[in-house]
Amino acid sequence: MERIERIPMEEQSGPRSREELEANKMPYEEFCRKLFDVGNEFSKPQALKGIRWLSCTMYIFTPHMVSNLAELGAEVIKIEFPRLADPMKHTSPFNEAYVYPLHDDRPLSGQGLGVINANVNKYFITLDYHRPEAIEVMYRLVKMSDGLTECYRPGTFDKWKISYRYLMEINPRFIYVWGGGFGYGPKVFGGSYDILGQAHAGLASITGFHEDFGGFPVKHTNWVIDWYSGTLGTAGILAALYWREKTGLGTMIEFSQVMCAARCIGYTWPLYGKWGIVRQRWGNWDTLLCVHGIICCGKSDYPDSKNPQLRDEARYVMISAFKDEDFKELCKIINRMDLYEKYQKHKDRVEATAQIEIYNALEEWARDKSRSEVTKILTEAGLLAMPVLNDKEIYESPHFRARGTIRWQADPSYGDILVHSTYSAGLLSKTPRRKYWDARPVGADNLRIYRELLGYPMSTIKEWYAKGII
Amino acid sequence: MCDIIWCKKCDTVNYLDPFNFWNWEGKIGCAGCGTVYYIHMINGYMYRGPEERPGETPDILPLYADQPNNGYEKFLPGIPGKTRPYNCLPREIYLGRADYRKFSIRGRPVRGWAPQPKSTGPAGSHPFIWQVEKHSPEVWQEFIEKKKKGEVKDW
Repeated sequence: MERIERIPMEEQSGPRSREELEANKMPYEEFCRKLFDVGNEFSKPQALKGIRWLSCTMYIFTPHMVSNLAELGAEVIKIEFPRLADPMKHTSPFNEAYVYPLHDDRPLSGQGLGVINANVNKYFITLDYHRPEAIEVMYRLVKMSDGLTECYRPGTFDKWKISYRYLMEINPRFIYVWGGGFGYGPKVFGGSYDILGQAHAGLASITGFHEDFGGFPVKHTNWVIDWYSGTLGTAGILAALYWREKTGLGTMIEFSQVMCAARCIGYTWPLYGKWGIVRQRWGNWDTLLCVHGIICCGKSDYPDSKNPQLRDEARYVMISAFKDEDFKELCKIINRMDLYEKYQKHKDRVEATAQIEIYNALEEWARDKSRSEVTKILTEAGLLAMPVLNDKEIYESPHFRARGTIRWQADPSYGDILVHSTYSAGLLSKTPRRKYWDARPVGADNLRIYRELLGYPMSTIKEWYAKGII
Repeated sequence: MCDIIWCKKCDTVNYLDPFNFWNWEGKIGCAGCGTVYYIHMINGYMYRGPEERPGETPDILPLYADQPNNGYEKFLPGIPGKTRPYNCLPREIYLGRADYRKFSIRGRPVRGWAPQPKSTGPAGSHPFIWQVEKHSPEVWQEFIEKKKKGEVKDW
């Protein structure tokens, strides 16, 4: 057979020249739409199909760590305490907004929205680890699973004889993940919550405005460190699975939440280490770039709305113009060329006193404008500006809808729910994430797992249920 | 954290959960002896009261109360005439009244009300799909009506 390089270009099939090849390519936008085919995820393969994981988890951090696997195709069995459930199921914003049912024994207790998005595609069973019968069940599940994630105080599973030390004996390929507050060390008995992680790792101390500007340390409104730590934990699991592919051996992963919170504080510790400077808060501005922050406008985009979040708060806009030429354009627009003359170089305007002067001037200019007007003026001038959107606007945003980031989920148990999870974690062309259901009622899959997977007779299952073992 | 009304007549602690009482003015009945107390709370601070209002009817009952000096005798939620039931009631966001949701903002059924029809299999297990038409026919009827009126949307 003749090598293709020896065939003259004009005799080859396909494009005759590099130019023709380029011209034949579909536009990138179209290529991406076809490649990712948003909304058609269910017809594609799943990357983690064949992996079975046990989720002995509660709250957000560790459930989310495993939920990531389930969204990618792993079969995940979530184990809750009988009738009690993951405590997160009992939380909802201001104790409102529940979906039903939680469990047939508690007809008036719903499942709170706090748990939504953290336990996607999991099968829900109940098991009381304290009971001797539970040990056998756990060992059997471990033998047929690839790994487990738990979040109990360090040593608790060891006390119940289901820690890594015991499980590696019965399944050497087993990957065991502990996720929690502090992990081993001087604070081994310290439990954790997201807010504790944000506080203990110093994240809250550098978030919000400085006291000089009427600010104070702020925690993120959402449990951002729970979600963040969970995602980092999933990365650890995927690395452990790859390691096992190469060596055939399982491993133990220990994931301290306060450790994860420390990862997103950037240059804070190196700054202290080199100069002994304790980093301060700089609010909606930036310590490294200027102009690169959020300003408040004088007028609302929704002056007549009865919802204060729209009427009073839809006034913030993000502006970026840190390059010299952009900053010059910005100064021209706000009619403050004196600022440009004063701070022509970035190293001058990024200094604290300069930033205070510049942002004050910007807010002064925006005092008689709405954020839409500010965005329009700056965007038309070729500068970067974006309103600080609220959830109503995100729901209406064509960008998120076109990419399938936010979707209506016809949840098989709970009905019509608007969700972002699964679809807000990147697009994979060959093996996309997908969401079959959000969560299930307490013990909803007891029969599926105990009877169909483990093969226990119905009489045993009913007896265990009556005794509160499951 | 919540404020309390410690009724000295019957030595009962009535707990005022912060959600309901953070900004609230009105009369509360003691779960122990039924004495009516007036309070006015602003941002969680007891601005006025508790003041006894004999002979008046209470606006609300506490959710939970106990007697720490009597072996922690408890008054759990939902005892008629003593405590109010805990129904996890969602509220209409502007009016503050209880509001179970049957439909999402685009008009499709969402299970936001209690109690739900029992549907468990053995050992608490649930069938996989909740069929509105079969399990909650009245909601399904309402849904059909909404559809006819064009109130059901895709987005």
